[in-house]
Amino acid sequence: MNKKLSLGLIIAMLVVLLAACGGNKKENAASPTTPASASDSPATESASVPASEPAEPITISFMHFKSDATDGIAKIVEQFEAENPNIKVDVQPVKFDDYDTLLKTKLASGDIVDVFTLNSGGKTKLFKDGGYIEDLTDQEFMKTFDPGVLADQTTDGRNYIMPLNAGPIAVFYNKKIFSDLNIDIPTTYDALIAAAQKIKDAGKTPFALGWKDGWPLGMWLSRDFPSNTVLVEKQTDFFDKLEKGQAKFADNPATKTVIAHALDMFKYGNKDQLGVDYNGAVDLFAREEAAMMYMGTWPLPDIEKKNPDLYANGMGYFPYPFSNDPTLNKLEFNPDASIAVNSKSEHKEAAFKFLAYLASVPAANTWVENVKTLTYVKGASTDIAPAVTALKPYFDNGQLYNSQVYITTTIDWNTQFSQYVQKVFFKKATPDQIIKDLDDWVSKNHK
Amino acid sequence: MVNLRRTIRREMWYILFLVPGVLLFTFAVIVPFATGIRYSFTNWDGISRKLTYIGWDNYVNALQDPDLWTVLGNTFKYAIMLTLLVNAISLLFALLLDSYLPLRNLFRTIFFLPSVISVVLAGFIWSYNYSQGFPRLLSYLGLDMTSPLGNPDHALIGLVIIAVWQGVGAPMIIYIAGLQGIPSELTESARIDGAGPFRVFRSVTLPLLAPSVTINMLLVLTGSLKVFDLVLVTTNGGPGFATEVIATFIYKNAFNSYKAGYGMALSLIFFVILVIVTVVQVSIFRKREVEM
Repeated sequence: MNKKLSLGLIIAMLVVLLAACGGNKKENAASPTTPASASDSPATESASVPASEPAEPITISFMHFKSDATDGIAKIVEQFEAENPNIKVDVQPVKFDDYDTLLKTKLASGDIVDVFTLNSGGKTKLFKDGGYIEDLTDQEFMKTFDPGVLADQTTDGRNYIMPLNAGPIAVFYNKKIFSDLNIDIPTTYDALIAAAQKIKDAGKTPFALGWKDGWPLGMWLSRDFPSNTVLVEKQTDFFDKLEKGQAKFADNPATKTVIAHALDMFKYGNKDQLGVDYNGAVDLFAREEAAMMYMGTWPLPDIEKKNPDLYANGMGYFPYPFSNDPTLNKLEFNPDASIAVNSKSEHKEAAFKFLAYLASVPAANTWVENVKTLTYVKGASTDIAPAVTALKPYFDNGQLYNSQVYITTTIDWNTQFSQYVQKVFFKKATPDQIIKDLDDWVSKNHK
Repeated sequence: MVNLRRTIRREMWYILFLVPGVLLFTFAVIVPFATGIRYSFTNWDGISRKLTYIGWDNYVNALQDPDLWTVLGNTFKYAIMLTLLVNAISLLFALLLDSYLPLRNLFRTIFFLPSVISVVLAGFIWSYNYSQGFPRLLSYLGLDMTSPLGNPDHALIGLVIIAVWQGVGAPMIIYIAGLQGIPSELTESARIDGAGPFRVFRSVTLPLLAPSVTINMLLVLTGSLKVFDLVLVTTNGGPGFATEVIATFIYKNAFNSYKAGYGMALSLIFFVILVIVTVVQVSIFRKREVEM
């Protein structure tokens, strides 16, 4: 009898346990709307909230790939939370190289991230086609942005992402090394390489390269290549055709040009380029061991910390001359992290409020101050760093271009290209071979 | 009859306790495996919500893909190097630490310590060592060193060194346990018969250690064939595909190239390869074991 009783007890416990496991999710989902949790919210705070605000605290998640800007984003979120006491933002910074994978996995498995960053172009289209992102075109906060950038970022005629920060991507240089060696700021590619040769002859490192990380080489490649394709070789529809399988890298002379440029970079870079990561390269530049560094504005806070003197008056910034025609070599300027709202989000209203806040001038100013990149918000501060003021003439004269709008593919040829180019660096393959391999890879993977 | 019913009632307990485990296994292993097989017959891109069945196309493409053979080559090169090195070194350590060495417990701990930290952390530590630590250290001696991970000729060796550093701990413990299971009378009598230390090791210790060798070879080989995290954090398959192994190749196909269906097909091919390797290896090593 006793045994039977305990057996029954154990079964009952198991059932309860299983039921608890199964029911857990539902309970969690329901809890924000239960009156009990509403009364939990601090009464002092809710007094300051306008009556129209919902009384329940809501948490929205925000995943972004600007992990190097974590502190700056934390400041913006703090301000937003202070203004909207009922909304909490759970920020999830992710390293850029891992970001896409994590985002895709989360979306595919139904783990809803309410707000996340996306880059414009092919990827946004994939997410839009999958029905994962909200159409933002008619939202009020979109009006604070420059219509030109909104037009650049449309997918099938609508805006699914909100542009936020923007920045020039150009070449930082060490003013002292340049003046010691009597080097003028190069305006053509040949002049750039001649300068590099001069620096190398003087026993210094011309370029700081951190190619152990995938993205610095990828970033350079995905700018030099489309610029040369569209502006120098005038193959304006190359990427459209590539997407449809009608164009080959072999038929595009820019492919050879960019491989040759990459070899130059490799030749004039610091030693062990592929063993040094992005931080290592920034370190080389900040220690004034390297004369130039091709990069966006994001290493600025780092350089300011490591070498305040260099940051304040020792460094300049010039547009990367990808061709030998000085009129083409404008300043590369494009959006970086743009923001999308998940169409499956349960808290869309709160998410839109967060976006509206990000689009406001105070948030943009916090961003500019702390993350040291510009934003597309009209009226926001543009004072980011002494080196960047050197670019003012380019902004004033409108000598800007955006190489990224040329890339219209959903095919990730860039990662593959970076790996193949590395084979050429170490003489494991010839340029012709890798161009053929690249075409084979595209035709094999994207029929 | 009463006996039988009592037996059943007694066995019921065991079945009851098995239920959670079986359920967990079903939902965490069998169900994903089955859905994986289903995906491998589609051209799913990993994002869209509809599946298109394309039959055996993924498998045919995979077997015709020259990249697959390159990465399998890399994987086996890495795995074989690692298996031989880890086993040789951990056996050596075990022999040393099983003998009357002063402070042997301290040394056991030291050699086991690297196994405690995570692979990702080990990868970061060693990337730093290779690119900053060692070159700076060697520059004091006037030597010039570049990170092996940045050179396609040395990258795989660089990875093997990290994996050996981290991997000797567990096999070493198994070898020590095996050595301690060998009765000392046997080695003593061999010594009395005039055998030298090397002869004793080869003719007495090693044959009796065969079960430990089998298990260690198997664990290290299958573990290193599946290597993923170490490669991803240290080289991400580069430079120039020199360290691209099958696991990172599958990952890149499934995620970076938006070909989840193809990636699934590759994983299933890899699964079959792993099963074959395991079966062959175990049957070879089991034959060499001797009964005590």
